Amino acid sequence: MDAKVENLLSEVLQMPASDITDDLTMKDVDAWDSLKHMELIVALEQSFEVQLSFDEIVAMQSVSAIKRVLRERGVTG
Amino acid sequence: MELRGKKAIVTGGVRGLGRAMVEKLLENGTAVTVFDLNAAGLDELRKEHVNCVQCDVSDYEQVLKATSQYHEQFGAADILINNAGILYSEPLIKLTSEGVAKHDAGMWNKVMAADLNSVFYMTVCVVEKMMTTRTRGVIVNISSVSASGNAGQSAYSAAKAGVNALTAVWAKELGPMGIRVLAVAPGFTDTDSTKDAVSEAALRETVKKVPLRRLGKPAEIADGVVSVIQNDFFNGKVFELDGGLIV
Repeated sequence: MDAKVENLLSEVLQMPASDITDDLTMKDVDAWDSLKHMELIVALEQSFEVQLSFDEIVAMQSVSAIKRVLRERGVTG
Repeated sequence: MELRGKKAIVTGGVRGLGRAMVEKLLENGTAVTVFDLNAAGLDELRKEHVNCVQCDVSDYEQVLKATSQYHEQFGAADILINNAGILYSEPLIKLTSEGVAKHDAGMWNKVMAADLNSVFYMTVCVVEKMMTTRTRGVIVNISSVSASGNAGQSAYSAAKAGVNALTAVWAKELGPMGIRVLAVAPGFTDTDSTKDAVSEAALRETVKKVPLRRLGKPAEIADGVVSVIQNDFFNGKVFELDGGLIV
C-alpha cells in the first residue's frame, strides 16, 4: 500500500516518487494546495475503493497521515 | 439524481419561476424549503407543507444564520436552487426631458447584491455542509439569456454573466467531490417580474424575435430545472431555455 500511495502522490503532485517521504506535508509542497488535496483524495478513494469522511480528509495533510488513515480503514498491500 | 426523498432549498420560491420549481419538486417527492423575503407569501406556502424560512439572501449575516438553522434541523441539503433575484432594466445613459442621466449606481449595487452576491452567499454556506458530510449534491443557478448582454440591462446582464462564471468555477472545484453545479438560463418568461421590469412594447418586440413567437411558461422552465437535476452527467454548463431566441 505504501508504494501505491507514494506513486499516486507523485502523479498528482507531479513530483519524483523519490521525494515522497513519510514526513512530507502539505506545507512543504507549493502545489499541494486545497484544490490539489481534493484531487488527491478522489484519486485515493478510487484507487483504494474507500469513501473517506471529511474529518479523515482534513487529517490527511502529510504522507504519513495518509498512510495511517488508510491503514485504519483496513487498506493493506 | 433521483428526486424522491431528497431535500431541496429554493431561494425566491414564493412566486414566479421559483414557485413553479417548488411545485415541480413537490410533485416529485422532494422535501422543499423556501428561503424568501416575502412573509405573506411564505405563510401561504406553509399551508402546502413547504418548510419556509424568511431570509434576505443578499445579506450574508442572514444567510449564515438561516442556513445554520436549516442544517441543525435537516442536515445537509441535496439540492440548492439559487433562484432569488431581481429583474431590472435601465440603460447606461438615459435621455430624459431634463437632459442626460446616468444609470443609478444604487440600483447597480442592489441588483448585484440580489442576483450575484446571494448566489455566492447561499452556495458557500450550503456546499460547506455538503462537503463535510460528503453529500453528493446539486447546485442549480438560475441565470438568464441576458448573461450574453442585453441592451438596457447592464446590472442584470453583468450579474447573470457572473452567475455563469461561478457555475463553471464551482463545477470544476466541486465535481471531484461529487457535487454538480449547473445553470438554467430562461429566456423571456411569462411572470410578474418580467412584466414589471420590461415594458409591454419591448416585450412585444422581443416575442417577435423568438422563433416560437411566445413567452416561456414558468412550468416549462421548472421542467428544465428538474431535468438537469436528474441528469447526473449534466455539469458546469448553462442550459438555455429560451424558445430559440439565441441560436
